[in-house]
Amino acid sequence: MTQFVLAGVLGVLFALGTFLVLRRDIVRVVWGVTIISQSANVYLVTMGGLSGGVPILSHGGHGGGHAVSDPLVQALVLTAIVIGFGTTAFALVLTYRVYQEHGTIDLLELGEKA
Amino acid sequence: MQPTTDPAASAVLAVVFLPFVAAGLVPLVYRLVGERTAYYAAAIALACFGLVASQYGTHGAVSFPWIRSLGVSLSFYVDGLSLLVGFLASGVGVLILTYSGGYMHGEPSQPKYYASLLAFMGSMLGVAFAADLIALFVFWELTSLSSFMLIGHYQRQESSQYAARKSMLITVAGGLFMLIGFLLLHSVLLDVTSGSNAFSIVYMLENPELVQEELRSAGLFLPVLGLIGVGAAAKSAQVPLHIWLPNAMEAPTPVSAFLHSATMVKAGVYLLGRFRPVLVSHEWELLFAILGLTTMTVAAVLAVGATDIKELLAYSTASHLGLIVAGFGFASELGGETGAFHIINHATFKAALFLVAGIVAHEAGTRKIENLGGLKEDLPITAAITAVAALGMAGVPPFNGFYSKELLFEAAWEAAVHAGGGLAYLYPAVAVFGSVFTFLYSIRFLMLFFGEKPTGLHKVHSPPKAMLAPPLLLGVIAGLVSLGGILGTFGIHFAPFDHFVGEVWASTLPPGSDLHGGFSYYFPDHITPAVTMSAVTLVLGAASYPFYGRLHEGVNRVTDVNVLRANWYYNSAVFGLNGVSDTTAERVQNGLLRTYATWALASVAGLTLAGYAATSVTLPAFELSKVAVTVPILLVLLVAIVGAVAVSIAPSHISGVLTLSILGFMVAVFYVLADAPDLALTQLVVETLLLVIFLLVLDKLPAFYGNTDRAKMARDGVLSAAVGATVFVTVLVSTAATPTDGIASFFVEQAVPVGGGGNIVNVILVDFRAFDTLGEISVVAMAALSVLTLVAMRERGETQ
Amino acid sequence: MSTVIARTVTRTVVPIILVTAIALLLQGHNLPGGGFIGGVLTVTAFALIYVIYGLDYLEEELLHQIRAPLLDSIRHGIVENYQVAFGVGLAVAVVAGLVPLVFGENFLYQSHWYIKPLPIYGKLHVASALAFDLGVYFVVVGALLTILAVVGTE
Repeated sequence: MTQFVLAGVLGVLFALGTFLVLRRDIVRVVWGVTIISQSANVYLVTMGGLSGGVPILSHGGHGGGHAVSDPLVQALVLTAIVIGFGTTAFALVLTYRVYQEHGTIDLLELGEKA
Repeated sequence: MQPTTDPAASAVLAVVFLPFVAAGLVPLVYRLVGERTAYYAAAIALACFGLVASQYGTHGAVSFPWIRSLGVSLSFYVDGLSLLVGFLASGVGVLILTYSGGYMHGEPSQPKYYASLLAFMGSMLGVAFAADLIALFVFWELTSLSSFMLIGHYQRQESSQYAARKSMLITVAGGLFMLIGFLLLHSVLLDVTSGSNAFSIVYMLENPELVQEELRSAGLFLPVLGLIGVGAAAKSAQVPLHIWLPNAMEAPTPVSAFLHSATMVKAGVYLLGRFRPVLVSHEWELLFAILGLTTMTVAAVLAVGATDIKELLAYSTASHLGLIVAGFGFASELGGETGAFHIINHATFKAALFLVAGIVAHEAGTRKIENLGGLKEDLPITAAITAVAALGMAGVPPFNGFYSKELLFEAAWEAAVHAGGGLAYLYPAVAVFGSVFTFLYSIRFLMLFFGEKPTGLHKVHSPPKAMLAPPLLLGVIAGLVSLGGILGTFGIHFAPFDHFVGEVWASTLPPGSDLHGGFSYYFPDHITPAVTMSAVTLVLGAASYPFYGRLHEGVNRVTDVNVLRANWYYNSAVFGLNGVSDTTAERVQNGLLRTYATWALASVAGLTLAGYAATSVTLPAFELSKVAVTVPILLVLLVAIVGAVAVSIAPSHISGVLTLSILGFMVAVFYVLADAPDLALTQLVVETLLLVIFLLVLDKLPAFYGNTDRAKMARDGVLSAAVGATVFVTVLVSTAATPTDGIASFFVEQAVPVGGGGNIVNVILVDFRAFDTLGEISVVAMAALSVLTLVAMRERGETQ
Repeated sequence: MSTVIARTVTRTVVPIILVTAIALLLQGHNLPGGGFIGGVLTVTAFALIYVIYGLDYLEEELLHQIRAPLLDSIRHGIVENYQVAFGVGLAVAVVAGLVPLVFGENFLYQSHWYIKPLPIYGKLHVASALAFDLGVYFVVVGALLTILAVVGTE
């Protein structure tokens, strides 16, 4: 059942993110991208399995002594979080500059201008 | 055919790679010696020629491992056929590069020209000697590539661009067909031999019957035959893929002479010669004899319709390639003999004629047939060369083309008799019919030098020596081959030449074939069917020559009909596709973000779901017992969803950002519960920073709601639901699989002993996968730089 | 703009955050933490100062006390200093990767104490990976602060 709950939650989150990406307001598009990237991170962590322990071994202890959740996905997601922040900030600054240059944050209007 | 010594590995390797190295050095050399680069390149070609010659008499393969895991090796095979093509590529190369020294005087972008020519020569030598299917394919496509560069030499001219693209499209596409054929062949061979042999041409040549049997039992004989046939036909300009060759005449004339008459187009027939021992059969004969004879005839007719001397020669080349293909097509030993001998003859007379055409165009300033005539007085030596070469091309005895054409007639006649008559008599009939046209256009070309000088053609200068010597040499060779035939009648044979042709011939036959005591040729001394056919050709040709003008117009009237022109199909397809792609781009990428996103997301969702459906993926059973989900996780996730929903319906930017934070913090808590402390820490902090940044930026942005359109909302809702469903299925399918030998256990075991750290996540980041991390911090740095550029430097680019 | 309470709390909290951040960085190899986390946490400390006191204060009063050893004293605005930070960070990471080449190992090869490629670290019982992590830390700090400061100055 775990999988179904997680799958359902992720499905809903992705759907909401998609919905936001399709909005006319750039800020909402940025939110949508943020939600999707957060959900993708959760998905990756889920892939590593939730049943293990904290992937930290006592120092000098022998590795593999107890089951831990997949450290590789955690490493992956760790960098993804920081990069995600960088890109979100970039998207926001881009939005700001678009507004400065064109005086609107309506994508429909911007598309017609192009 | 007695395998003597093995070829020297170093020499073979050098012969293939020397031109490439030399091509790389061309820009440097050009800077030093300027236009004399031509002679540098010619010297390289001469060195290659010497290296090829040093391998004369050897027979065998040399091999260097290349992609071991796939059994691909860089191996080279030396036998008569490969030596022949090697001699052609390097020998004609010497002449062409020398000639270029005169012809290219004052032309633009010479370094590119010489580098491409040398690279082409290397690729062609690679094709000739390659003994591995993959290596052969790579060199094969390299020749197409360098041909593209050379045809598009005058890169600003639209016609050059069109011609270069056309040749690229057709020859490269043909090469891809060939590759598929090779891979099918490989897959069949894998069943009978070890992996290292499955790409080996040598293995196939040693076991031709076994290979053919295996192919047939796998039901792949016809596909492989067809696919390799398409590759060869595209390269060797066989009907209906011949259309690129006339356009390729946009290239400088030396290129036409080199690539598009003597060597590159020979790659196709070389391929047929190479695979002939393996694939020769009834189907082979049917396919290639018909293809070759059709091409020979159609192209000869088109040549009569040509108005430009280079166009005439281009069609004539296609026609003669058809003759060679037909020769190789006939399953009898005579067929191989025809092909082998005609490759040599054609290279000598056609390259000479191209160079003559270059001289004419260069000195007379026009290439229009109707504007040329009576050139004999101004260009006496050129006229003599033309006489030998054109009469050879026409197949007039005793010139060299006559002997190989005689062999073709013999092979065609024999095939007809062998097949028991009936329709098979079309073979000799068509051969004669095509030859009549060959005779016609050859004589027409020769007549450029005779008769009245048209008004308007001013005094024609003599060409520089560098331009005259190469065609002269080729003409002399053609003359010597002709002389050999006459002498042969009296029993005097030029043994080394006969021996060499015999070797080439032998390589196109399955092992153990009867060579009828080796190759020799002589003037026929009694009446045979072939002699009769030759006589009929000459008489018909001579009788219809006075009506050349009418034939010329008739041909052009027929080719004015669109549906009869292969070119019309090509243009319609290519320009039609252009139009389709333009309209598609306008529709899919119309400048609105939502359109881009809709198409991208819809196709991802659609393709993914279709993929699952196609592979009939089953969802895991819904079990309540498999409880690992804890109540806290459930709750946290539910709150996250509430947050996300709140974001979606947020009435203002501020409330949206705040609810977005709910989602973020819930994700952080989820990480805590999922035993990922590093993630939780990072997520918490980043979420805080994100909030700050959002609030800072939103402060500057206007409140905007965007009026909602019900229909659009509904459509977006459907798409979102589809994406959600895709994710749902994907998560279920991907988490259901629990591979036991995951890579994770390696990291867990090695973290302390090798990485020296207890925090496995960190050890992965800074040790095991540190290179990835280096990339990732570069991304972070890049994001910062982009922000900086966007804001802090906004004034710079715009003021300048 | 901000209350006395906020100012006072900030004064107390910022050093704590910074110490925590550095602790996370240093212990990251064995316990939760590392360059990324230490980096983002450091940035929050600066963000806090910025939100409460404003950018000028950060630049004039605090910056040189906290980060002077690392940065040049060129004062062309605070952003340049941050740029230097992530440039230095990338350089540190790359150099940390290149050092093993000198010892005949692969690019980015990491060791720890009982192999002792780096005697000083060896005695300290610290893995050579820390140098790389330090690079990560500076990149994250520099890059994120750049973004924050650029957006903030607008």
